[in-house]
Amino acid sequence: MRAYTGSYLAAARGRVLGLLLLAAGAWQFGGGIYIYTKAGLAQHLLKAAWDKTRIDGSATKPWPWADTAPLARLTLPAYGVDLLVLEGSSGRSLAFGPGHITGTALPGERGNSVISAHRDTHFTFLRDVRYGDELSIENARGEVRRYRVTGIAITDKSNLAVLRGTGAARLTLVTCYPFNAISAVGPLRYVVTAERLEGAGAI
Amino acid sequence: MDCSERNRPSRNRLTRIDSLVGVIRGLFVCLVVALGAFTDYVAAAEAKDAGLMFKSRDGEPLRAPTLMTEVDIAVTGIIARVRVRQKFYNPTDAWQEGIYVFPLPEQSAVDHMRMKIGVRIVEGQIKEREAARATYESAKQEGRKAALIEQERPNIFTNNVAHIGPNEEVEVQIEYQQKVQSDQGTFRLRFPMVVGSRYIPGTPGETVATGTGWAPDTNAVPDASRITPPVVDRARGDSNPVTIRVDLNAGAALASVGSPYHKINAVKNGDTGYRVSLADGPVPANKDFELVWTPAVERAAKTVVFTETFAGADYALLMVMPPAAQQAAARHIARDAIFIIDTSGSMEGTSIAQAKQALLMALDRLTPDDAFNIVQFNSVTDVLFNSSVTASAANIAKARDYVKALRATGGTEMAPALTAALNNSDNQRVLRQVIFLTDGAVGNEAQLFELIKARLGDSRLFTVGIGSAPNTYFMSKAAQLGRGTYTYIGKVDEVKEKMTRLFTKLESPVVSNLRVTWPADAEAEMWPRQIPDLYLGEPLFVTAKLRKLAGTVLLEGQIGAETWRAEVSTQLASAESGINVLWARDEIESLSDAMRGSKGEDNKQAITDLALHHHLVSKYTSMVAVDVTKTLPNDALTQTSAMPTNLPEGWNYEAVFGTLPQTATSAREQLLLGLLLLAIATLWLLRRPART
Repeated sequence: MRAYTGSYLAAARGRVLGLLLLAAGAWQFGGGIYIYTKAGLAQHLLKAAWDKTRIDGSATKPWPWADTAPLARLTLPAYGVDLLVLEGSSGRSLAFGPGHITGTALPGERGNSVISAHRDTHFTFLRDVRYGDELSIENARGEVRRYRVTGIAITDKSNLAVLRGTGAARLTLVTCYPFNAISAVGPLRYVVTAERLEGAGAI
Repeated sequence: MDCSERNRPSRNRLTRIDSLVGVIRGLFVCLVVALGAFTDYVAAAEAKDAGLMFKSRDGEPLRAPTLMTEVDIAVTGIIARVRVRQKFYNPTDAWQEGIYVFPLPEQSAVDHMRMKIGVRIVEGQIKEREAARATYESAKQEGRKAALIEQERPNIFTNNVAHIGPNEEVEVQIEYQQKVQSDQGTFRLRFPMVVGSRYIPGTPGETVATGTGWAPDTNAVPDASRITPPVVDRARGDSNPVTIRVDLNAGAALASVGSPYHKINAVKNGDTGYRVSLADGPVPANKDFELVWTPAVERAAKTVVFTETFAGADYALLMVMPPAAQQAAARHIARDAIFIIDTSGSMEGTSIAQAKQALLMALDRLTPDDAFNIVQFNSVTDVLFNSSVTASAANIAKARDYVKALRATGGTEMAPALTAALNNSDNQRVLRQVIFLTDGAVGNEAQLFELIKARLGDSRLFTVGIGSAPNTYFMSKAAQLGRGTYTYIGKVDEVKEKMTRLFTKLESPVVSNLRVTWPADAEAEMWPRQIPDLYLGEPLFVTAKLRKLAGTVLLEGQIGAETWRAEVSTQLASAESGINVLWARDEIESLSDAMRGSKGEDNKQAITDLALHHHLVSKYTSMVAVDVTKTLPNDALTQTSAMPTNLPEGWNYEAVFGTLPQTATSAREQLLLGLLLLAIATLWLLRRPART
């Protein structure tokens, strides 16, 4: 009997262990899914805020407790990319969309406007972008500016020349590199620069 | 992380589940880290192949020229003649233009430059800044080698070298003259090696950058891109090796010769001379070199006069050591001490440790009669007490806690802090002394000097330069305008000695109302125009241009309550070359100071004329050397490289520059870990029934 009880208990414990492992696995897996869902879903919520911004011209928070607001719209029709760019590039902003690095020129304006996003969510497409590809930026006033990719570089995260101002109208897109790394912390960044095509006005 | 630690299973059965998950997670993390390290390694190796971590448009590697510097210093008594050789080597396949932004002592008078190509030497010519730039650009256009030395600040210069061929070396030799610093019986000579990264306040304009630096030009610092050379993080290794040799002839037997920041060999040479060299060979250009020597007490000269005749005029350099103050100073004068401490990002690392220790020492030195306050600043300014409080035990304790908790981060918005500390006060009853601890890593010196001049009132400003590569121009000029004195602290070990010296100065009577009377027919043009008060141990330095030097110079002043008079016979004078250059440099400083605060450039012509006459590099004149023959092949690839500089020793790269944002989520890691756990759990659960 004792032996039976012992093996029964052992079996029960084994089952509990298995279930706990299952739960832990589901929790981790769910966490990963959550990150992707949030990144995708947020863009839809941002759409409403952006539409409002476009109408009254002022920054509108996408949800009441948000600490950021959409600033511009980035599109690359060739890649099916249509993203709303947020103010600031903190981790909290980047969870929802590409973030404009505060202090650099505003998207669409003259100067160097730098936008960063996660390489495994919003900016995955950057790995496929080639020289000469066209992209456009729409600002809060509804003005659309077209850009052409003129530079692709890999650089260290400490290389702040990427943020440097310029007299030209430049758009700089930054994401982590390499694209397929599993670990989230790495020292390298993938930098795509695009120069504005003159003469492209509002739609 | 130590992977083996995480893998060790616990023996406690109750925590078996926890530990099992832990083990799996640990294994997983190790795997991820290993994988991550591997992919990073591969990526880094790829990137490294692309030269300076950049790929050019057509995928060709871009690499930059390298630089080696050799410095030869000859000290004769109280003047130094320095030759700096900058050797640019081009390891690339393209023809390179190297642009190097480098520091020199703020009192240096650059009067010679030559370019050496193989065995050929091309002498540099002094020209007005725009004309020199045009000469350089047209030589570049014509495919001829050229070198151009421009002054950005009294202590920052730019060297442009055009058309360095593949695998070729071009050497640029720069020579300058300077006075040696003297204080409390010791003599010092600094050779700065790197322009520490400056904080650039203001708003960037929309104009094209005027230089190749990392900062955009702003309304507060219109030439920011010319004073912010690219910086390589220490992690990437040091560059720009420097060799220094000093031929020291102090003119008297020495009690000691030393270098506080570098290991040196000093070998006796003749009766009073020494040959000094770096003990361990070349050093990276990442901190100031300083040579310190002390004459044996009884041999120290109290008066030195050097003269020279140049283009029909006489020039003189005069150093006089006033006697030490009488002990009559025992009467304690109440002080109001305002401490300003810089807690910006450039101070992070060893600098903030030095500054905090210095400030704590200063607090200990206050007596209950004194009043004090503390102002700290980075991007914002914070004042400890609303207004100065008495130095009671309770207030000091509060201040000590405040100082100990200080951390260095953020920008260097210096103006609000100076505004808070300098209130234009006019109070004869107390001595208001502002003690300013900073590395001076700012680009808007001119703006700050105006502020100090306008708000000083009856206060005195004492600057304490902190760290391995302080902005000595800012420190000395701010102290001069603040009618105080400056002190440098280069390492923690020096805090006690240097601060004690400073306190002794703060607490001792000054030599005031100093007057120098030259013989009537000398028609002397003297620097400084207004002689500042001298603090304890400081000698009087005077340079002058004279119609004819003869007779006796009379010095008068007030030491505490006593009157001091001295006569210096010009018979004592010894002839020395380059005295005219020292005077001209000083005169340019006077003319520049006189323009401070006015919108126009009233003295531009006077400075230009003076600099051209004495062959001096100034803010309006540059030195240019152009090769006679064209060497650039017609089909050559040309490229411009801003020479990278080191981060000053003890600085923290990320505290100064920040980094690009973190742009990857943990989603992938979590999904993989989740899947792994789910798989193990499923296997585990399926295995159980099979056994019963």
